[in-house]
Amino acid sequence: MFPTLKTGAVMQYPAKRTLQFNTDTIRFLDGTEQRFRDNTSVLHQWTIQLDLLDESELAALDRFFVSSQGRFGSFSFTDPWDGTVYPNCSLAKDTFAFQLRGEMRGKTAVTVCENRT
Amino acid sequence: MIYFPQLSSGATGQFPIARQRAARTVVNQSVQGYQVKLADPAAAIVEWHLSFAELSDQELAALEALFQAVEGSLTPFTFLDPVDNLLAWSEQQNQAVWQADPLLTLTAGVADPMGGTAAYQASNPTAATLMLQQSIAAPASLDYCLSLYARSDQNARLWLVRGSATDAQPVGAQWTRLISAGQLQDAADSISFGIALDPGTTVEVFGIQAEAQTAASLYKQTAETGGVYPNARFRDDVLMITTAGPSRHSCELDIVNVEYL
Repeated sequence: MFPTLKTGAVMQYPAKRTLQFNTDTIRFLDGTEQRFRDNTSVLHQWTIQLDLLDESELAALDRFFVSSQGRFGSFSFTDPWDGTVYPNCSLAKDTFAFQLRGEMRGKTAVTVCENRT
Repeated sequence: MIYFPQLSSGATGQFPIARQRAARTVVNQSVQGYQVKLADPAAAIVEWHLSFAELSDQELAALEALFQAVEGSLTPFTFLDPVDNLLAWSEQQNQAVWQADPLLTLTAGVADPMGGTAAYQASNPTAATLMLQQSIAAPASLDYCLSLYARSDQNARLWLVRGSATDAQPVGAQWTRLISAGQLQDAADSISFGIALDPGTTVEVFGIQAEAQTAASLYKQTAETGGVYPNARFRDDVLMITTAGPSRHSCELDIVNVEYL
């Protein structure tokens, strides 16, 4: 399960959410087009930017990255906008970086993406 | 043992500290968006970016001596992560890294001070002092801080074991963070951390943490690896030093730990 902050929140502002379709387009010589969907439904992605974290909050995210083995593992993620649970999500990148500028001044960013099921 | 030196403050790093973990996943994606993934755990990389300012001549000399001893990025050294708990399996004392004396009774799943159930109860039913400890491959001569939360229904005493040093600390009914810190005159290449219980004592313990510094930071749970990296290297073959005045040096370092090298 994706870790929450000490406040109980998953994300901080500014929070970004992406919806992605995948449409194939065939354009003919006369300029007309035929379009069809490659994916059966929309895929979601959340960019979680976190600031002013303490070391234990960073450690929890780091532990989650290690247990997920980067983008290999899958987990369920609850969309903080509407509470919808997406049962098959992964981290989008194989790297997890943070910067600690002082006590309780940790900063990191994580991207979670929904997998095609 | 070649190891990354501590500053005169006992710290390994200064703020800001940046750390990056990298995993390797092979992904085969179909046109429809379906993915087949393969993990490659052996290719994991951990990297630190350390910024040092206002270093004294002695502190800089220690860094330079290490850089010369390992010949830049050529050979490895032991690096103790300044932002992690050095002990592995900090909440699973049944793992092999923990050595418990045979008659020490450990019961997991006890309510902890963070609102979970990750504490454990340690009981010593014998007439001798019993220990639970974990040894790490790090120089015993550095500054270390051992910390843990403890409580007991008895008015008990708990010994904090930090290498050859043992500090007795009183334990009451409320969760209290106990700390044992200092430097040992010991040239060994390993050091043990743990607890020792007096005969007939029962204590609840949570959040055991060892750090290569003089004071305790917030507790960080660990799993199969702690913050000891025996295969760390300088990422670069160049060490650039800026001197602003007498005994006022600064430099930036990138350290990388790659298990497959």
